[in-house]
Amino acid sequence: MVLLTPILLIPLATALLCLLVRSQRVMGWLNPLAFAATLALGIRLLHEVLARNVVTEGNEFFYADALSAWMVLLISTVSLGSTLYAGRYFRRDLAAGTVTAGRVKEFFVLTPLFAAGMFLVVLVNNLGVMWFALEATALSSVLLVALYNRKTSLEAAWKYVMLGSLGLALALFGTVFTYAAAINQNGPGHLPSFNWSHFMAVAGQLDQRMIKLAFVFVLVGYGTKAGLAPMHTWLPDAHSEAPSPTSAMLSGVSLKVAIYALLRFHILTTQCLGTGYSRTLLLGFGLFSMFLAAPFILVQSNLKRMLAYSSLEHIGLICTGIGLNTPVTIFGALLHMGYHALTKPVLFFAAGNIHQTFHTMKLRVIGPGVVKVLPVTVLFMGLAAAAAAGLPPFGLFYSELTVLSGGFAAGRTFISFLILTALVAAFCGILKQLTRILPGTPKVVRANDAAVWDNVPAMGLLVGGLLVFSAWIPLPLLQLLHQAAEIIGGKP
Amino acid sequence: MNMNPAAPTAIGPQIVMLFAALMLVLQLLLVVQKMLLTNIRLFALQSLMLTVIAAVIAWYYNATHVYIVAVLTLIGKVIFLPWLLNRIVRRIRIVEEIEPLLNAPTSMLICGGLTLLGYIVARPFTTLEKLGNNTLAIAIALLLTGFFLMINRRKAISQVLALLTIENGVMLAAVALTTYGMPLVVELGIFFDVMVAVMVLGILVYRIRESFASMDTSKLSQLKG
Amino acid sequence: MNPNPIAILLQTALLLLLAPLITGCIRSWKARLQNRRGPRIGQPYFDLRKFLRKDMVISEHASWVFSAAPYVVFITALLVGLMVPMVTTQAPLSLFGGILAVVGLLALGRFFLALGGLDPGSAFGGMGSSREMTIAAIAEPALMLAIFTVAITVGSTDLSHMVAAAQQPGWNLFNPTHLMAFAALFIVLLAETGRVPIDNPATHLELTMIHEAMLLEYSGRYLALMEWGASIKQLVLMAILANIFLPVGLATDGSAAMLGLGLAVFLGKILLLSAAVVLVETVNAKLRLFRVPDLLSAAFVLAAMALLSTFLFK
Repeated sequence: MVLLTPILLIPLATALLCLLVRSQRVMGWLNPLAFAATLALGIRLLHEVLARNVVTEGNEFFYADALSAWMVLLISTVSLGSTLYAGRYFRRDLAAGTVTAGRVKEFFVLTPLFAAGMFLVVLVNNLGVMWFALEATALSSVLLVALYNRKTSLEAAWKYVMLGSLGLALALFGTVFTYAAAINQNGPGHLPSFNWSHFMAVAGQLDQRMIKLAFVFVLVGYGTKAGLAPMHTWLPDAHSEAPSPTSAMLSGVSLKVAIYALLRFHILTTQCLGTGYSRTLLLGFGLFSMFLAAPFILVQSNLKRMLAYSSLEHIGLICTGIGLNTPVTIFGALLHMGYHALTKPVLFFAAGNIHQTFHTMKLRVIGPGVVKVLPVTVLFMGLAAAAAAGLPPFGLFYSELTVLSGGFAAGRTFISFLILTALVAAFCGILKQLTRILPGTPKVVRANDAAVWDNVPAMGLLVGGLLVFSAWIPLPLLQLLHQAAEIIGGKP
Repeated sequence: MNMNPAAPTAIGPQIVMLFAALMLVLQLLLVVQKMLLTNIRLFALQSLMLTVIAAVIAWYYNATHVYIVAVLTLIGKVIFLPWLLNRIVRRIRIVEEIEPLLNAPTSMLICGGLTLLGYIVARPFTTLEKLGNNTLAIAIALLLTGFFLMINRRKAISQVLALLTIENGVMLAAVALTTYGMPLVVELGIFFDVMVAVMVLGILVYRIRESFASMDTSKLSQLKG
Repeated sequence: MNPNPIAILLQTALLLLLAPLITGCIRSWKARLQNRRGPRIGQPYFDLRKFLRKDMVISEHASWVFSAAPYVVFITALLVGLMVPMVTTQAPLSLFGGILAVVGLLALGRFFLALGGLDPGSAFGGMGSSREMTIAAIAEPALMLAIFTVAITVGSTDLSHMVAAAQQPGWNLFNPTHLMAFAALFIVLLAETGRVPIDNPATHLELTMIHEAMLLEYSGRYLALMEWGASIKQLVLMAILANIFLPVGLATDGSAAMLGLGLAVFLGKILLLSAAVVLVETVNAKLRLFRVPDLLSAAFVLAAMALLSTFLFK
């Protein structure tokens, strides 16, 4: 049955419908419904991929293997949560006057476009179209970041679009070079297909120097979009200035989609060169990101910026896990992707609630004792924060442990110690910042506007999912992850 | 001592090399030129060079789909984008760049150095006997000088132009380096992307102007840390 | 290479007679473009004759340098002219190092010109000399780099060899290296001959004059020599530009037909270049003095890139 095309078409159709529809309520329900549908399709895709290894459609234009299926699940889940949250969030904002109805409509039209772009990235076979899809996600998210039209939002959006476009231009260079590496093999007039599956098949014949050069460009280019240090400077700004549902999607899944694109090239490069060239680079950037993030988390004064740096940390860990290149660490990295995607949005939702109640993001002003004002929010936030810091029994603890143990087992003791240090630093940072604001008694007594039970469904869904999957991963999912790990690490 | 330049004697590659070098010279002019409207015209001229290169490659190698690329570049980058940028500049009513970070002679010297760097990076690839060996160097040089242009200028529109010249460099690589061009679907995708990107950037620039009453991006410095 | 005395004589005559004509053409065409009637094309000849006849007035503070400078300027210009192939592929004279001698002699001429401006002790003269040296500091390296580019491509610094090599098949006329060198040399031409946008040859305002400032104290015979020398230098630089980068129609032997053809083609190329100079002068405004290094450094970088590309285009 046709699976991949509907996954793409549903968000596109939703965007179109939201453009035509006037009612806020309808838009607010249309979006989550669409993503619930893609989630269902994603689960179906999971089974298909387990059965058939690879699902292709449209004459190999669309290509889904285990890695793609995993990403589809992540994108659907995070988008579902975000759009569920967004309805109530924007209703409050409209009432408070921070946004106009036109902007809310913009949100509900651009978000499914954003998601459709991400789906295209993970499902398409052609490397050039993959680039195009990433650029599409970048462009749709820029206007989302600038939604509030404040001076700081515009500044963040400008940095985001400039650095993002620059990064994507570099990635395009890398893409072109990759293609150029393949053209020696063919006679005049015959263009080789730019499909990733085709390139993997002829990897042995590609020009090695060109592939090396191409990978460097792709790493810096897509790395910028993934928020790897030192190209991460747009990340704290964009993720903190965007409206909370968008921040959740940006942090929760768009960074990972950029990593996915990077991974496709990493797999190709490793297949072509047969050496540790690409994974060493990935390892280096990953470690650097982790170490850069930790001090910034500790000294941060803005809640959402702190969350953005925490995302940087986690992305660093994922890249490090892949860079270590043992089946265990890669599995841990993929698992980490999933758990982080479930956790970070909840934190952003809670931050959004806090922002709408306290009208500020500065930790000093929010002050201690949020628990008295927004008890339910704080409950979810506390759980998610514990998860993000890496405490058991949450899944993030297990995935981090997996990566660490894999590192020690492979004899990379020094690197594993580095990872451990960075993780501990981040752990301290998050806990310190959040214990500053969450417990205690508030200095200023605020009126409890009926926002206590706000957005429980959205947060509850994700936290619930996190708890459930921390304890038990269904077998098909495990198999999928193992398959995906194999794809990245090559057949052992 | 006899140093022979291994200049290919075929007319197609010669013209391509010539126009690629002209693109680089125009890029250097962009770096020192301060009037925004002139810069837009220089960019249009550079894109015209790119169009000619694409047309020559299509003709010389009988790669008909590259003609489409040439036409698209002509319509999009030579006519539409400069018109759009002109409109933005006139709406915003700021026509000259403020003093760049580095003065003109220093900028020129740095760009010369960056061009040299581009040539050095491209050196190992000159044994690939194709149309593309020298255009690789020029594409990388365009990338590096575009970076420099972005850092050196403070007005938002100049940074957009810098980005567009980097895209020109990529297109040069895509059309000339890969001998027969890239698959059409990719070229189309890139083309439409650039169009939409500039439109989005235009919207942003306008909003920045409204909000900050200036296009000086050094004023966008509130978010730190 | 044995200097052929007849060739030397003929080339000298050509230089002496043609140079004022070119100056006159440029002045007249510039006026026409600006919608004025302007002086007649032969006016410089009359001017030279007038100066040669008149008495000289020399400042009492001037030394022998003041008197020597016009001769040095005139003779170096002539010598350089003899080393450049104009009508034939073989230049009449070939001194030590070809191009190196050309650059050296031009520099010597400029040096004495500047000294001559300083010597009488007038304020304008000194000012003109210092400005001239500033421009020369950047223009000369650009000149050298541009010419060395061609020299490297050909493998010799002798101008005659360069022209001969350029006439062989397999020579790439559209070589971007040469085009960049040509562009750089054109800007240097404007700088050396004191044309807009670098210097205005028709002004005597303190703020704007460079070359004219150095000539201000000269009169009579010395002024004639200075002006003539400047015209010859202009002609020579144009000849270098024309014959090295577009070496078509040069006579290869001494037959009358070939010489005639060579002369006609040479005249055509020089007049074309003059037209280009006139166009540039009319379209552009003179740059403010501290902006001139911007333009010249652009020429320098162009020449440097041209030179680099000869190594890296291999």
